[in-house]
Amino acid sequence: MAKKVIIVDDSRAVIATAELALGEMIHSGIIELKSYLNPMDLLGALQSGSENYDLLISDVNMPQLNGLDLARAIKSDERYKNKPLIILTTESSDNLKMVGKEIGVTGWMVKPFSDEKLVKSLKIILGV
Amino acid sequence: MNKLRLLIVDDSDDNRLVLRAICRKLEGFEIRDAVDGVEAVEVTQTWQPHIILMDIMMPKMDGFEASKIIKEQYPDIVIIAVTAVIDSRVEDNMSLIGVDIYIHKPIDRELIRYKLQSIGASLRSTFGGLKILTKKIALNPFNSDIRSFKTIFDIVDAESMMDFGMWLFDQYNGKQMAASNKFDKAIEVFYMLMSQGEKNGETMSIIVEESHEEFYITMTFDKKILLEQKLSDMLKEFGTEFIIQENIVCVRLSKPQHVKVIEKEIQKFGEKISETNTEVKATNQNIQEEKQEGAKEIRVIDSKERELLHQSFIHKTTAVEYISELGGDVIEEILDLASIDEEWVGILSIIENNPTEENFIYFSNAVLNVYVRAINNLFEFTALAYALSSLSVFMKKSAKVVSEDSEKIKMLIILLEHLGKDLTCWRKHIFILQDTADIHYIDSSFFSSCMQIEAIIDDKHVDADDENDMEFF
Repeated sequence: MAKKVIIVDDSRAVIATAELALGEMIHSGIIELKSYLNPMDLLGALQSGSENYDLLISDVNMPQLNGLDLARAIKSDERYKNKPLIILTTESSDNLKMVGKEIGVTGWMVKPFSDEKLVKSLKIILGV
Repeated sequence: MNKLRLLIVDDSDDNRLVLRAICRKLEGFEIRDAVDGVEAVEVTQTWQPHIILMDIMMPKMDGFEASKIIKEQYPDIVIIAVTAVIDSRVEDNMSLIGVDIYIHKPIDRELIRYKLQSIGASLRSTFGGLKILTKKIALNPFNSDIRSFKTIFDIVDAESMMDFGMWLFDQYNGKQMAASNKFDKAIEVFYMLMSQGEKNGETMSIIVEESHEEFYITMTFDKKILLEQKLSDMLKEFGTEFIIQENIVCVRLSKPQHVKVIEKEIQKFGEKISETNTEVKATNQNIQEEKQEGAKEIRVIDSKERELLHQSFIHKTTAVEYISELGGDVIEEILDLASIDEEWVGILSIIENNPTEENFIYFSNAVLNVYVRAINNLFEFTALAYALSSLSVFMKKSAKVVSEDSEKIKMLIILLEHLGKDLTCWRKHIFILQDTADIHYIDSSFFSSCMQIEAIIDDKHVDADDENDMEFF
């Protein structure tokens, strides 16, 4: 069964480029990709239990909610505490990475991302 | 002293408006404008400002020429160069004519106000908060042979930080030195250290020690210091002139030397720059050739792009704050872009039906370039304007190849549609709803997407060496 990957990013262009990068994994049925433009919508869906995932990819700078605050909220929920969550952002400061690490984020990838590196990382995390 | 006279020199009406709005909040300044270097020189002769905010790239007479003429006649006038280009060779050149203070675009409002306040306070000669000690125990890790006094600043608030900024400025102002043009950077570094310390609730002090040739500026904190990335990058510029140990950061600065400005020296600098430029071009060419020989082509990220991608701001500006200081005509121009958004969608649908080289080029000119011109008027969005302008150049360059490949046409249209929607949202969040806590929430991401789109269409990989490897925690 395809693993469910969710990407949350306020930019449609980022979501589109990620879809292209993961195209092969999607078409071969390894993953199913769902996207959210507004982190508040995702948080609401996760909290109500109407949404679930095997891996979450989140941006940091979003107008409605910072990705690290989103990660903190999700990681404090027992249902999602142990699920992998990676940050995909242009932010590369060690201080922010440290915050991410303390929250329990699985990994940190800097934009612009390399398609190959994104696919490779996802395969490692999902064990596929 | 009565009010200080501040002259703002910039050829863009909107930039002058923005700078005026920022400076208006400062007390004790009388402000005037000039539209180019020629007018700046004229106004200086009749009005004699104390401080000039000087744009560098201007028509008629640029900021460098104007500064040179002004400094020769009025060496005491403090000129602050406002520039988007961070180039050490330009800075060396400016330093030779006595300009050592910079404001970099995109501008940081608080930092501008801080610099102007510090300089203003120094010019008014209202010293305060200094204590002269006679105990000769060196705190700095560089040199134990210091002179028999120290200057201590207890950093309890922004005002005490200003005392330090004004003291440092006073040591260097008008000395036309070549020995050290780092004091302006030191002011920025210590200001940022204070901001970081303040956030963490630290008690801070700055202790200045000196030998005959150097100042040793040490900032002390309660706890071990963990530097924010931008700070750590800035401190790297000081090379071996800076040391960080547990709870102290120390920077060593050469004391100013009096240097006479000689035309020939400037000329020599000019020659060196052109030599270096030729060398750089030759090296780039070699790199390019080497890359092309390899099996996989890589979309290289150059240093200017890297800087714009990872730019960070000391203070987050909310949309409400930003709009409150922006001129009405600038906002109108941005809101007018709604019609360009319609064009964006319209021309893309024309391309879908008729994907000719001419139509792609038309999209660049009629849509992307109009956006670039409007965003260029906004100081704060350099990265966004740069991204769109690079995309426009790329589109024109690739129009022919893309128009012959149906897969690429389809892909590019979809990606451009998404970029257009991102820009519409950007205008909505900042200029209409004004609901974002950080006006720069999308700049870098947008720029990164443009790069990625270029790479996809060119069948290349965006690669930043190890920088974009996944870092697992």
